[in-house]
Amino acid sequence: MAVCIAVIAKENYPLYIRSVPTQNELKFHYTVHTSLDVVEEKISAVGKSIGDQRELYLGLLYPTEDYKVYGYVTNSKVKFVIVVDSSNTSLRDNEIRSMFRKLHNSFTDVMCNPFHNPGDPIQSKAFDGIVSGMMVQSS
Amino acid sequence: MQKQVDRNKSNKEIQTLSNSELFTLTYGALVTQLCKDYENDEEVNKQLDKMGYNIGVRLIEDFLARSTIGRCQDFRETADVIAKVAFKMYLGITPSVTNWSPAGDEFSLILENNPLVDFVELPDNHSTLIYSNLLCGVLRGALEMVQMAVDVKFVQDTLRGDNVTEIRMKFIKRIEENLPFALHRIC
Amino acid sequence: MADEAPFQLLHSELIHYIYQSEHGADTDNARNITKLEAMGFRVGQGLMERLTKDTARFKDELDVMKFICKDFWTCVFKKQIDNLRTNHQGIYVLQDNKFRLLGSLSAGKQYLEHAPKFLAFSCGLVRGALCSLGVRSIVTAEAAVMPACKFQVMIQKS
Repeated sequence: MAVCIAVIAKENYPLYIRSVPTQNELKFHYTVHTSLDVVEEKISAVGKSIGDQRELYLGLLYPTEDYKVYGYVTNSKVKFVIVVDSSNTSLRDNEIRSMFRKLHNSFTDVMCNPFHNPGDPIQSKAFDGIVSGMMVQSS
Repeated sequence: MQKQVDRNKSNKEIQTLSNSELFTLTYGALVTQLCKDYENDEEVNKQLDKMGYNIGVRLIEDFLARSTIGRCQDFRETADVIAKVAFKMYLGITPSVTNWSPAGDEFSLILENNPLVDFVELPDNHSTLIYSNLLCGVLRGALEMVQMAVDVKFVQDTLRGDNVTEIRMKFIKRIEENLPFALHRIC
Repeated sequence: MADEAPFQLLHSELIHYIYQSEHGADTDNARNITKLEAMGFRVGQGLMERLTKDTARFKDELDVMKFICKDFWTCVFKKQIDNLRTNHQGIYVLQDNKFRLLGSLSAGKQYLEHAPKFLAFSCGLVRGALCSLGVRSIVTAEAAVMPACKFQVMIQKS
């Protein structure tokens, strides 16, 4: 389960960011922001080498002492970042993948809502619900 | 990994899937345009109904040509044709026909899911918008072309928190056909 | 929805509305075209977001254009583009020999002047689809011999 989930626009400003309330929100913003460079690096390699990365899921971006940061980029160049606790060793790659898939599906629905302006912050109850289901429940 | 093949694999899937999505999204673009053009929701509802009517009077030709359905005996038969043939053909859903009035001149179409609202989340400032009101106009227009005047309106809508979407249809009268002039050759 | 009649009718009703409503005076053709194009743009964006949800990442601009000509065109216009050409400097010409949304117009020359309003929404669709994949462009269309139609895509380098 995640401690922070963020959606970042093509132009690198946040469309959506949610973190567990008990922890330092600013720190997560910083973590997410830092991860964007790694994302950029990974996708700019597409088409330039033989073993290029054409999957939307980018895998582990970088681990810090406390967290693991995972990334995913849609074909419309919107980035999803999921931060999980390093102590959470039971999470498998497959589970992270499926979290990103769910996020992407819901994001696509948001983009198809005629009342949503692409590029605006995401305001959607359905999307909130999906994200809530993936967050660590603070007790 | 199987990622490389994905792009072509889903081609067929894409076609069938997106046929209704194109319609749904285009309809969404229309509704939001109307919301920009008009001051209040009532006006938008009215405009949607009017446009639906224009579509209905033309769609009926396509429907009659395709479905090879003849004249309906009564309103009950009309209701069945609308639900089982027309909705199925054009929206891919089959609403149930229920809540008949004792006189048999009124019934409800219950839509379990409504493809028009697939991705829609209504903003708070459009609480009186009847998003799918086009459908009412379509039904009214189409039936008018087969000499039936009906009143059609939404009474429940999942978009506004109801469990199902319900369209209420009321038979008003049979429209007399205007018989053409009888012209006689005089010379 | 296996049938395309509803979309065709909705599309013509859209044009009818934009050209009739008091909000867009009849004479103001350019503004009406812009409105229709903008609506198409939004639809193209949404549609592309869905279409590319399960596809691998695109390699380059050409890869994107091919996707537009095959998958996107098939999804929206029920057939592939018949001919794609490029000058290799950011201009692509997409030819559709039997364009779906012109079918309702008669092939006669007198209707040619109405072609632009029947093509504006589609130009928007294509521009929106490209934009969704990060390709900024200007899309225009002309129908010289109906129902054939040529779309010209000019890529905007940022």
